[in-house]
Amino acid sequence: MFTRLIDWFDERIQIRKLWSEFANNPIPGGASWFYVFGSVLVFIFILQMLSGILLALYYAPTPDHAYASVKYIETEAPFGSFVRGMHHWGASFMMVLVALHMLQVFIFGAYKKPREIVWLLGVGLVMFVGGFAFTGYLLPWDQKAYWATVVGTNVAGTIPVVGGILLKIVRGGAELGNLTLSRFFDIHTYILPWSLVLFASLHVFLLERAGAAGAWSWSEKTPVYSEPLFPHQMFKDTIIIFFIFLLLICLAVFFPAPLEPQADPTDSTYNPRPEWYFYFVFQLLRIFEGKYEVVGTFVLPTVAVISLVLLPFLDRNPERSPYKRKIMMTLAGFVVVTVSILTIIGARAPIVNTPTVTSPSVLAGRLLYDKNGCTACHSIHGKGGKIGPDLTHVGSTRDRDWLIRHFKNPQAVSPGSIMPKVALSDGQLSELADYMQSLR
Amino acid sequence: MAEQEVSRRKFMIRTIVGIVAFIGAVLAVPFSGLGILPALRGNKAGWSDAGTIQDMVVNEPQERRFMQIVKSGWMEEKEERSVWIVRRQDNSLTAYSPNCPHLGCGYRWFREDQRFKCPCHGSVFDINGKVLAGPSPRPLDTLETRVEDGRIMIQYEVFQLGIARKLVA
Repeated sequence: MFTRLIDWFDERIQIRKLWSEFANNPIPGGASWFYVFGSVLVFIFILQMLSGILLALYYAPTPDHAYASVKYIETEAPFGSFVRGMHHWGASFMMVLVALHMLQVFIFGAYKKPREIVWLLGVGLVMFVGGFAFTGYLLPWDQKAYWATVVGTNVAGTIPVVGGILLKIVRGGAELGNLTLSRFFDIHTYILPWSLVLFASLHVFLLERAGAAGAWSWSEKTPVYSEPLFPHQMFKDTIIIFFIFLLLICLAVFFPAPLEPQADPTDSTYNPRPEWYFYFVFQLLRIFEGKYEVVGTFVLPTVAVISLVLLPFLDRNPERSPYKRKIMMTLAGFVVVTVSILTIIGARAPIVNTPTVTSPSVLAGRLLYDKNGCTACHSIHGKGGKIGPDLTHVGSTRDRDWLIRHFKNPQAVSPGSIMPKVALSDGQLSELADYMQSLR
Repeated sequence: MAEQEVSRRKFMIRTIVGIVAFIGAVLAVPFSGLGILPALRGNKAGWSDAGTIQDMVVNEPQERRFMQIVKSGWMEEKEERSVWIVRRQDNSLTAYSPNCPHLGCGYRWFREDQRFKCPCHGSVFDINGKVLAGPSPRPLDTLETRVEDGRIMIQYEVFQLGIARKLVA
């Protein structure tokens, strides 16, 4: 039955020839565990697409609903937390694997003639993966999302001459808001997936045309020993994919993707930190300050991208053995060590705002505040009514004693006030006062 | 090809197929679960207030409109609903879902004929919801009711249409 189906296709589109061309692609020097990264990336990307499509079923890309919809996925939708966890950790895997893939190609000299175009497409793919990572974490609209995007988009604003306009284009306006979220969602779910699929297909297709690079020493041996892509290399790829998949589902189950409190543009006590894979960029921005800032935000990244693009055209020496390319290997070592050190320092960067330890009585007071309808007249951080005074900073103007006397008999303390007496026990009034005191 | 090489190839191909099948099977459950299960959840949304019982005349069906709070994913929406309510001789209440069980059209009570009539395909029901004529495959769908402080409370639900059995949609 299956053979007959294949026959039917073969008669029309020569499917056997197509498959055998793909499967018998020779790997000079034989299959190797060093060559698995490309296939693993394809696998993780497919998982990212599937999980992403599922998440999009329950996600709403507007500031009004984004956070609630992600919370729904995380807490209510069956398997929602697992699928979101996979998508979250899958992003980290993509970043690590794309770096390892590039490093392997660099060390093996596989970017050299005739594979320059394959390398160029690869440089594009690295940037797409970075773009995915960056646009992805604004989407939950939590504190981390909001502040990382404020900082990230301001980086674009520091670029000489065009920075101001670029910032507005990236944000869809002067400030981060509704239009920014739409833009990031559009980039993350339409522009980047299509671009990546196009580039990756060409990347794989052209590699097949140019031939796999294989081991660096194969040309010295005659006759050339080689193994086919399928099943020899694919076997090794699949074994690694299996273990990576197990690791990914364990992470998704035991370390679910975090969801911080909803984005609060007025919160000055938050310590913004990017995802770990951007720590090195974060640290770079802490090193270059003031008028040198543009070095970290624009000059170095531009130099890095241009170097990658020009690499196969500047380094035209056909020698592929890393042992005979000492300068290139030193350069690669320097970049790897620098990025690692910046990542570690970035991760250990001191936190400026001491995390606020909220006492139980403040929490209890906050609950009383919500339950007793105080928000109908008073507002905190812009949320609530306008009839009574704004309480955002009430803790710095009123002391505990005054507050409690005021709750018991508002008119006795501030004559002419229309506030009703607060009908709570002394203990509860004390908690409410503690909460008021915490608002500074 | 040497015999050893042939069996090595076979082993590799079997391993690849096995791992791909394993990954597919592991993912099928959570992926289809997240895609499908939330859509299958019932839509029971608690009791809604459909007005007072005082102005209900015995054996005179009345249409009542009310707002029902419906949870839709992460949002709570207010939907306008209507039901037909009948007050019986013994003061008990019967509430009918407003959609004809045939294909969902809105039917009305015709006092002069003492019949519920559907304008779409001509289904006719008596005051007890029994089918007297037309294509309706089952009687009018009843909803749970109770009276609380003189107010009629309704447990509003939506049913599958066009079939003989009354099943919650």
